[in-house]
Amino acid sequence: MNQSPAVSIFLVTAALLLSACSAEITPVAEQPAAPASPAVRNEDPLYSPTAERDYPTSVYWGDTHLHTNFSMDAYIFGTKLGPDDAYRFARGETIMATHGQPARLDKPLDFLVIADHSDALGAMLALEQGDELLMQNETLASWRNILSGDDSSADHSALHGVQTSAGLPKELDAESVRLPAWKYLVDTAEKYYQPGVFTPLIGFEWTATLGGQNLHRVVIYRDDAEEALALVPLSSTSSSDPRRLWQFLERYEEVTGGRALAIPHNGNLSNGIMFPLAELEFGDPMDAEYVTNRARWERVYEVTQIKGDGETHPFLSPDDEFADYETWALGDFAGVPKTNDMLFGEYAREALKQGLRIEAEFGVNPYQFGMIGSTDSHTSLPAVDESNFFGKHSLGLEPSPERWNTPVGERDGVVIPGWLMTSSGYAAVWARDNTREEIWDALHRREVYASTGPRITLRFFGGWNFTEVDAQAPDIAAVGYVQGVPMGAELTAGAGQPPRFLIRAMKEVNGANLDRIQVIKGWTDAEGLVQERVYEVAWSNTDTRRPDEDGKLPPVGSTVDIASATYDNSLGSGELSVVWTDPDFDAQRPAFYYVRVLQIPTPRWTTHDAVAFGITIPPYVPKLTQERAYSSPIWYRPD
Amino acid sequence: MRTMQLFLLREPLLHFFLLGALLFAVFEWLNRGSPAPTDQIIVDQARITALATGFQRTWQRTPDAAELSALVDNWVREEILYREGIALGLDQDDPVVRTRMALKMNFLADVLLPETTAEQDLQNWLEQHPEDYTLPTRYSFRQVFFDPQHHGDDLDARIADARSQLNGDSQEPAGDATLLPAALEDASSAQVSRIFGHAFATALANQPVAAWSNPVETGFGIHLIYLRDRQEGRLPELAEVSSAVSRDLAHTRSEQARDRFYQTLRERYIVHLPAAPIADRQE
Repeated sequence: MNQSPAVSIFLVTAALLLSACSAEITPVAEQPAAPASPAVRNEDPLYSPTAERDYPTSVYWGDTHLHTNFSMDAYIFGTKLGPDDAYRFARGETIMATHGQPARLDKPLDFLVIADHSDALGAMLALEQGDELLMQNETLASWRNILSGDDSSADHSALHGVQTSAGLPKELDAESVRLPAWKYLVDTAEKYYQPGVFTPLIGFEWTATLGGQNLHRVVIYRDDAEEALALVPLSSTSSSDPRRLWQFLERYEEVTGGRALAIPHNGNLSNGIMFPLAELEFGDPMDAEYVTNRARWERVYEVTQIKGDGETHPFLSPDDEFADYETWALGDFAGVPKTNDMLFGEYAREALKQGLRIEAEFGVNPYQFGMIGSTDSHTSLPAVDESNFFGKHSLGLEPSPERWNTPVGERDGVVIPGWLMTSSGYAAVWARDNTREEIWDALHRREVYASTGPRITLRFFGGWNFTEVDAQAPDIAAVGYVQGVPMGAELTAGAGQPPRFLIRAMKEVNGANLDRIQVIKGWTDAEGLVQERVYEVAWSNTDTRRPDEDGKLPPVGSTVDIASATYDNSLGSGELSVVWTDPDFDAQRPAFYYVRVLQIPTPRWTTHDAVAFGITIPPYVPKLTQERAYSSPIWYRPD
Repeated sequence: MRTMQLFLLREPLLHFFLLGALLFAVFEWLNRGSPAPTDQIIVDQARITALATGFQRTWQRTPDAAELSALVDNWVREEILYREGIALGLDQDDPVVRTRMALKMNFLADVLLPETTAEQDLQNWLEQHPEDYTLPTRYSFRQVFFDPQHHGDDLDARIADARSQLNGDSQEPAGDATLLPAALEDASSAQVSRIFGHAFATALANQPVAAWSNPVETGFGIHLIYLRDRQEGRLPELAEVSSAVSRDLAHTRSEQARDRFYQTLRERYIVHLPAAPIADRQE
């Protein structure tokens, strides 16, 4: 090639200018300026009853676990939507889904964590753009051809599981690939942050997998771009041991002065190692350091999401007739089948119980966690209402007449059919304002709860002095915070009398009525064995329903018309409120209590699909669902 | 046509010939005339600092002398191969290089943009795009709630009682206990509708200020609402939204600059397209 010197100088100058600007990190913090408020309180009586309360007065809804096309697997599954689309969708705008369907939430979300996989972060987009480093690797260069071709080819299918596979080309993890992607994600989070209106929290998913056993955690920072950009998110390629992640989080806090926490999820795909009981994930014996660090960093568990509900399993809770809710107990990512003994290390309720036992040994409870739901959607669309469900990923699972029978995933004979997807869940947090700090702090103090989708409002307080009248107080928070502790907190010993719990739940606006409120108690008995019991504490249709001698309440019934995918609110209650006293309290034994609120039955998403697309779905696919909320527990600890 | 290209790309014999021709050309070129070095590569302090910074980002420590020296050697090696590759024309028809160069040219257009924006430009932008910045209508109100399930057939009478109390001077009646807030201060219409539903928000929009409403029905039950204050939506002053405005204006200007830049370059070329429409010629 013949170049004139002028052209050469021009190109070199351009390159220098470029390297000069790309080295700069310029976070954009943009928010509409708040209208100035007068600094001095006038003499008028206090008008707004909520203005001077120093406890959390509002519940905010969000998804802490959403993937965009910056995640390798989401990209491979074909989503075309990126972080901008995700934020715009979450805050209520109409977005065109990858497969050409307009999508919109019935109600916007208040906050969102885009938690793209830190492994190979943004690498597929870089590959698409012909990144030199990636294209030097023959395997990756061939991926580029496969991914730009037909998504039903065998070569394409072979790529579906790579996110959780070992031995991938190391170029995917290169900092030159991941750092620009991280900058883009962080800058985009800054751009959409409107304190008080919509909050993107900065985070990522650490996708550790032992063989095929899921040890994934979502990391969430409390901080802004300046802190978040100090370190490239830890990838799991060097180590899948959670202790390595905790070291990283500690380093993050040391380097930046910020705060971080980690939220594990999908114990149901861990084949028994999500909640180690004695032997740790990689075979070491459990020790004080592990339990202390787990308690420090992992104060919340994502209990329900599209890949199944993880509260409990019928094998673990045979006396709980609501235990078999949307459970996935087939195997792990490598297709190793599930056996019953694995279940003990996979479900939230069992972990909460085992935590009490482990605390007796080490003095610290590693599983003293709050509970939230989130979507783990890989479509950039956190849409999990039963009638507005956009699926797990974009390869055949966005709304279509075929998706109920399209595999979610497939490995060595274990096939997960589309209909098993759970249209779940969201995270609810109690906070004073919709900001990063307020939401993160609520997660950290566990004043949060899980929903499988509907935005049920739930208050839950524990104390020693509540009386029946408090259940009818106009503002139960005013009573609850003064005389007790909220969900996620600890009750320390009273004067030996049983604890009382102030609970109120309200249905979602324009949503289905509530069937009942239950309290789930777990404790260790005199022999040190873990126990559980489900109590019916408040329910609807009291004129026709009474608990039997075992304390079981008859089902509420159903108003669902399957043919039209509709229901009505002639059953159930809009609100339920109660003060409940533990009838089996033993002041010497540690215990935890959490609340489960059940809706009346409604049509499951598969039933909505059948009506929307005019198709027949076979009888083995569930037609109804009974959605629910799980509070974070309140723990009782004897002196 | 595309299929044929792909076929040729995969043809081993063709690769062999091309490679042979290439090697021949390289040796011819390397043997050109005098070996006396004429080209210069200058490694200045800025370059060394940049290399060290890159190392530090990866390893979280500064490189030692040997490592730094290796970084410099490697950079020089790459620079020589790069220059010679360009001279050989290896960048021609390489899709990666093409994409990369095009991307860099786009950035170049950005660099030519002025760094600051005149206040008047921001003001004009705000006025030309009111729909992007209009602040929503905000409400301050109290509400009293009646749960139909608590009152059954007495519901209407209960509400009528409450209304006569409200319109008199007596104390505000207590509604039924609820998790719904008894009051909201300065809440946007979107916030109201998220908590109370669309019907409630619509009622607020049409309600006179400083008066109790007629009964408003929502998915929860019946509400009586006292609207204390309504701040109508308005176009904000520039100072209230200047950061959003300058972000949007900068974004648009950058797009325009890239277009203008491209058009200037485009004018220097005559592009020959096939006679038939392009779409018809794809296989």
